[in-house]
Amino acid sequence: MKTSFVFSGAGGQGIMSAGITLAQTAIDVGKHATYLPEYGPEQRGGSAKCTVVVSDEPIVSPLPRQCDNLIVMNEQAYEKFIWDLKPDGILLANANRVKEAPDRDDVKVILVPVDDVALELGNPKTANIILLGVLTGATGIVTREIFVQSLTEKFGKKPDVLEMNVRALDKGIEIGQQYK
Amino acid sequence: MGEKRFMKGNEAIAEAAVRGGCRFFAGYPITPQNEIPEYLSWRLPEVGGAYVQGESEVASVNMVYGASAMGVRAMTSSSGPGISLKAEGISYLAAAALPAVIVNISRGGPGLGSIQPAQSDYLQATKALGHGGFHCMVFAPASAQEAVDVLYDAWDYAERDRNPVLVLMDGCLGNIMEEVELPPMKELHDEDLPEWSLTRRNGRDWQGNITPIYTEPILEGLNAMAGEMYKGWEEDDVKVETFMTEDAEYVVVAYGIAARVAKEAVLTLRAEGVKIGLIRPITLFPYPKAAIRDLDYTQVKGIIDIEMTVPAQMREDIELQVMGRCPVYEYGRSGGCLLDDDGVLEAIREVLEGGEA
Amino acid sequence: MAEYKRASLLADSPSGYCPGCMHSLATKLIAEVIDELGQQDNSLNVISVGCSALNILYWGGDFLSVAHGRAPAAATGIKRVNPERLVFAYQGDGDLAAIGLAEIMSAANRGENFTVIFANNQTYGMTGGQMAPTTLIGQKTTTTVYGRDPATTGYPLKMCELISTLEAPRFVARYALNSPKGVNDARKGIKKAFQIQLAGKGFTFVELLTNCPTNWKLSPLDTLDYMNTNTIPYFKPGVYKDTEVDAK
Repeated sequence: MKTSFVFSGAGGQGIMSAGITLAQTAIDVGKHATYLPEYGPEQRGGSAKCTVVVSDEPIVSPLPRQCDNLIVMNEQAYEKFIWDLKPDGILLANANRVKEAPDRDDVKVILVPVDDVALELGNPKTANIILLGVLTGATGIVTREIFVQSLTEKFGKKPDVLEMNVRALDKGIEIGQQYK
Repeated sequence: MGEKRFMKGNEAIAEAAVRGGCRFFAGYPITPQNEIPEYLSWRLPEVGGAYVQGESEVASVNMVYGASAMGVRAMTSSSGPGISLKAEGISYLAAAALPAVIVNISRGGPGLGSIQPAQSDYLQATKALGHGGFHCMVFAPASAQEAVDVLYDAWDYAERDRNPVLVLMDGCLGNIMEEVELPPMKELHDEDLPEWSLTRRNGRDWQGNITPIYTEPILEGLNAMAGEMYKGWEEDDVKVETFMTEDAEYVVVAYGIAARVAKEAVLTLRAEGVKIGLIRPITLFPYPKAAIRDLDYTQVKGIIDIEMTVPAQMREDIELQVMGRCPVYEYGRSGGCLLDDDGVLEAIREVLEGGEA
Repeated sequence: MAEYKRASLLADSPSGYCPGCMHSLATKLIAEVIDELGQQDNSLNVISVGCSALNILYWGGDFLSVAHGRAPAAATGIKRVNPERLVFAYQGDGDLAAIGLAEIMSAANRGENFTVIFANNQTYGMTGGQMAPTTLIGQKTTTTVYGRDPATTGYPLKMCELISTLEAPRFVARYALNSPKGVNDARKGIKKAFQIQLAGKGFTFVELLTNCPTNWKLSPLDTLDYMNTNTIPYFKPGVYKDTEVDAK
């Protein structure tokens, strides 16, 4: 089983970190993963994109043309990559920044106002973790336990940051489970 | 059992270099290889090594020249435009018979080109890495793990031959994160320093000198010795992966990142019953000539060269071995546009259906 | 009365430099200072490109011959992995002040702990007398046949003055080798630079005003007067920076 994810949005929206966290988490559950960032000349504010491939087998090509899951954080990313999503794939979009009526009816659409949810939780920076939570809840690609374990490895030295991220993850999973 | 880590290709290269004995690095910033100097700037001091950010690629490769003359395992890295600037120094390393490892994380060219990944430096790497008609062994790993394996052993080749070694990868493999298994730190001792090194004058009763300047007829003799060395590489050091070529009617030839995308296509087509295989050069110099030359051309109907550069650069090396016995097709993307699974698959299908790739 | 002996690191053969060329003198001075400091086994000569490269034939000690202009870069690599060796580069004006300007300025600015000895004779000797970055205004060369014109070629580069503006260098001085006093001062300057290096204190730079009888088309004796009249007024000898003294 091989699953591909494209994450995209504006620089600063946590796109790259979401991709790395997903890939790391997949490895933690014993799967194989590749993370490939697409880098541009801008250090800040440009567009951000990364491709993550997760598989039970060692990964041969890390360069799929079309992905199984497209996660977009803004309208620009949506416009650019919506046709790179496979038929029957999952579109997970930030409803705060992407229009409500997607162009495609052959994909499963999950629209979550992650910016609002993150604000409600008290930290807008957790939007990317909420999205990963939604993905986890909706696809079961990895389990909550392993995700928490990776977050602990990453933020273990800052208990308040860890706590915030785990809450964001749980909120995302709760939302995602409605789309299972 | 080594230590497993989820690492960026560039950082895996840097860590493997340290574990392989690298104790000196000099380099100059250029995308997409910056994680190599960044990593080594803190890592080398941890193991008693030295890191210098040079004022240019030219200066950096000459710093490596100096450190290597002292018998220390030294390295520099860059991307295409910077490798051009290092060309002078690499030629001098070859002339002075100094080992060193040079890493090229290549990008779109020519000129400043693009900072996005491309395999546009094949000809530079294999034919003329500098003036004067010399060669380096050129390794082209296709994954972070293979890069680790290559870097770990690179100085063994460089010191054996007293000649620089080039590792050619592209921006994808430099920036990809994958799981790697890291080998243990090689134990190096002062008494193991090469006997030719200029390190310790005391106790040595001969003059230590290293020079890239020679006159006739000595230089001709050295040129001939280099020629013998290159022949030796062809006999002993060729590394190649051949995959499902035994019964293949079509054979894809690709290296590095292109080979991974090509292999995915081969697997897909095999599942459909197509008799297709892959030849993946791991050393680009010495080139795996025999793997291509000795295919059964009563069976092989076509060779497909897939590279992430346009026009294809490896094609001439392939054609020299095919010798007109079957058609050679090429497919590529270039200038920072990446190869992808579907594109390569479609290109191969076109060949199978009798069209051009 | 001290016995006069050939310096131990000079090869046991006559120098092949042109008659009257001060490269021979400069090389001898360096070798003698190394003897005085007892550094024969510890010294490493980084040999540059130009007439200076002939030292691969005349230098009897350890050396590394390097690319044109890159001696300060190579010396950086050497010294960073082998700090205890006495390392010096001997560079001419084309090597140091034209093609190698970035390398010398950057090594000086990093405060690398080695010594650069700069032989300034205002011409490219080995290639046949072309204009150098230090060629004097009006000086005729094979590429400035009517004399160096600043309108198109700028002005002679003053390396001691440039390098002494940097924070890191510890000792920067210029000496003219056309008089016994100049030679004696140069010997002391080289010794001081080496001692600073051996104490691990940082970058030292010694410029030696030298001649080129062949390409200046003057007899060796006439070059001495020429230097007094033309070279020394523009490239003023003296200590440009000495942190040992400046700090006091």
